[in-house]
Amino acid sequence: MDTGLFREYTTDGFFDEAFDAGGGVREHYRSLIERLDDIPPEDLERRERIRDAIFRTQGITFTVYGDGEGVERTFPMDLIPRVIPAEEWDVVEAGVIQRVTALNRFLDDLYVGERAALHDGIVPRWLVRTAADFRREAFGIPVPFEARCLVSGVDLIRDHEGTYRVLEDNLRNPSGISYVLENRVAMTRVLPVAFARHRVRPVDQYGQLLLNALRSVAPPAAGEQPLAVVLTPGVHNSAYFEHAFLARQMGIELVEGRDLVVDEHVVSMRTTRGLRRVDVIYRRIDDEFLDPVVFRPDSALGVPGLMSAARAGNVTVVNAVGNGVADDKAFYAYVPALIRYYLGEEPILPNVDTYLLWDDEQRQHVLDNLGSMVVKPVAESGGYGMLIGPAAEEDEIERFRELIENDPRGYIAQDVVQLSRHPTLVGDHLEGRHVDLRPFAIAGERIEVIPGGLTRVALRKGSLVVNSSQGGGSKDTWVLEHDPISVGDDDGEDA
Amino acid sequence: MLARLAENLFWAGRYIERAEDTARMVDVTYHTLLESPPQETTHAYTQLLEVLHLTGAYEASGGGDRAITPEDVCAFLVRDPGNAGSIVSSISYARENARSVRELISSELWEAVNHLHFTLRARDLDADLADQPFELFRIVKQSCQTVSGVALETMPRDDAWRFLTLGRQLERAEMTCRLLNVRFSQLVDYSAPVAFHHWIAVLKSASGLEAFRKRYRASMDPSEVVEFLLLAPDFPRSVRFALETAERQLDHLGGRTGRATRLLGRTRASLQYRDVVELMDEGLHPFLDQLQDEVAAVADAVATEFFRQSPEGSMYAVATT
Repeated sequence: MDTGLFREYTTDGFFDEAFDAGGGVREHYRSLIERLDDIPPEDLERRERIRDAIFRTQGITFTVYGDGEGVERTFPMDLIPRVIPAEEWDVVEAGVIQRVTALNRFLDDLYVGERAALHDGIVPRWLVRTAADFRREAFGIPVPFEARCLVSGVDLIRDHEGTYRVLEDNLRNPSGISYVLENRVAMTRVLPVAFARHRVRPVDQYGQLLLNALRSVAPPAAGEQPLAVVLTPGVHNSAYFEHAFLARQMGIELVEGRDLVVDEHVVSMRTTRGLRRVDVIYRRIDDEFLDPVVFRPDSALGVPGLMSAARAGNVTVVNAVGNGVADDKAFYAYVPALIRYYLGEEPILPNVDTYLLWDDEQRQHVLDNLGSMVVKPVAESGGYGMLIGPAAEEDEIERFRELIENDPRGYIAQDVVQLSRHPTLVGDHLEGRHVDLRPFAIAGERIEVIPGGLTRVALRKGSLVVNSSQGGGSKDTWVLEHDPISVGDDDGEDA
Repeated sequence: MLARLAENLFWAGRYIERAEDTARMVDVTYHTLLESPPQETTHAYTQLLEVLHLTGAYEASGGGDRAITPEDVCAFLVRDPGNAGSIVSSISYARENARSVRELISSELWEAVNHLHFTLRARDLDADLADQPFELFRIVKQSCQTVSGVALETMPRDDAWRFLTLGRQLERAEMTCRLLNVRFSQLVDYSAPVAFHHWIAVLKSASGLEAFRKRYRASMDPSEVVEFLLLAPDFPRSVRFALETAERQLDHLGGRTGRATRLLGRTRASLQYRDVVELMDEGLHPFLDQLQDEVAAVADAVATEFFRQSPEGSMYAVATT
């Protein structure tokens, strides 16, 4: 592989998705890499232009803030897709379903049940009570099928041995599914022949699955044809594109808080033909902005009286209020125990080993080894406020030492995990870049996982941070069928 | 359709029309005055501010007592972002409204509105006004008509289209009323020779000079100007034409039995069967005043009927019908 796209490619001792430690191509990447090797480097530029045109015309953007006015950017999709073989996906899928099942069971037990896991000491009571997103306001509000996390986006990484591990659960408002669907559309146009050579499991059923799930959790009062809506904070929200996209995919209304009104504990939307009763609200607004009557009184985004309507059993709020308690990064450490407790099974997907800092022994170990640790605040997301020890200056390490000593409940620490890498287009050739994977699970009568999910890639060399706001990009993610027979024409040329 | 989005469409239509009509009026005032005795200048710009109901806002913008000069009034009406009725503000509001309904309008329409907004932002408007206002007004008028044309050719005749058109036509009816009202009320002797270029200006403001001449040849009888701009059944900028177009939208929107339909139907009928000679004898000014109020009342009724849904509103509607 001394010519073409792979001419300078090395794995540098990392676990590489496409190549084994000896530099050989992994079986499930063979067909793709053969095809890529056929493409002259100068042809890639043309394909990138096709991709850019697709994304621009579809208006796929997220908003980056700065200088007062938000700028709309496209989330860059790398031309090289990620391939996951069927057997590998089976494990991931089962693991995600297992995890979401246990978390839904716990949350339902916490908010409307016996709180058995607390009584039996599986999770400390004080830990739940002190979680920033624990909501007493959600007590007594049931959700059909225990589907409190109706949509979850479990972040997975692969370590240096290639083992899939859960990094976080994202049980509140995970975003990114719109990129999964749009990446697929773009990919089938940019590399049609390579795509056709594989039997890739489809993803475009997401809208229908989500709509069915939303309708299935409508309160009994809703009748046969429940009305579901998507609730957005508005056009200025950075994920507004996705909110509009999902409403369009499902063919339901995209509403803002001011479009809804609660009267006699019934939620209605204001239409030109009068008020229409709403049964299910897929809200993309955080808990604390949802209802100024019970949460932040200064919120103009929410709907006054919404929680009372939910409590009266007249509307289902999706995802349920209060899920964030289980997104607390210290709570995360207890999820494997909850799986054993509620399901009587061993966790299929392990956690990343996590140190809990209120424990004297663990804290001492972390403080003694801060330079090789990752430290995260328990209530943040999006990669904010983290310490990455090996990359940090001495004064930053000392700052975190103080933070931890002052507030051991406020932080967790983990050993640095070397994320797997994936061939990624850099200029006119390929280099390894770190990736993660966010599969999306939809709960309802049963839990379904969309094959693949969002593969995020740290486009900056050596970076472990894949967030879109911090220089991350994405990849189309191909989950192969069990019978991976090519259905494409081997002599075909990519258009 | 969501009431909020319907209202945004309605206002997108109104603001586009307002920008276009304002451009016409400033354009004509500016260019007419080039051929007029200087003493008329202040008078004409005072009238212009009154037509647009912006006299108070203009004075307030200068700290309470602002002298009326052509430069200041033009700048105020064209590019003052502090003036909610300026061309720049109207276009910006039209764009904001269109942006919120991007899912409901054609992408061509969105692009046309967006393009107009950015075209104005990219220009040095002070230099335009000082040097070549004609070019600026031409761009605004033409772009607004492009927006209309694009809407006409790319939008299905659904509720979104109807609210957009409804807003636009009601604004047009009101603006034409204002134009006639102020110009006529301030002329004592309609037939004096000095008045001749006033009629030309009035017709030009409504883009109606050519069409008027085709119909009435060389005559310039004030009652004919009024008849044309108020009552012509076939001239798209006449008040009657605008109200008839608005009425058809309301019909399709299912407002047949509502208060807006009743008010609009009544007003349209009173125009349809009006005799212009009688009208001039009875006094044009009170008639136009009332007509303007009636159009405003229709707009209020549309808002109540379609945009202001609330549990209390529904109860009220039940109680009164």
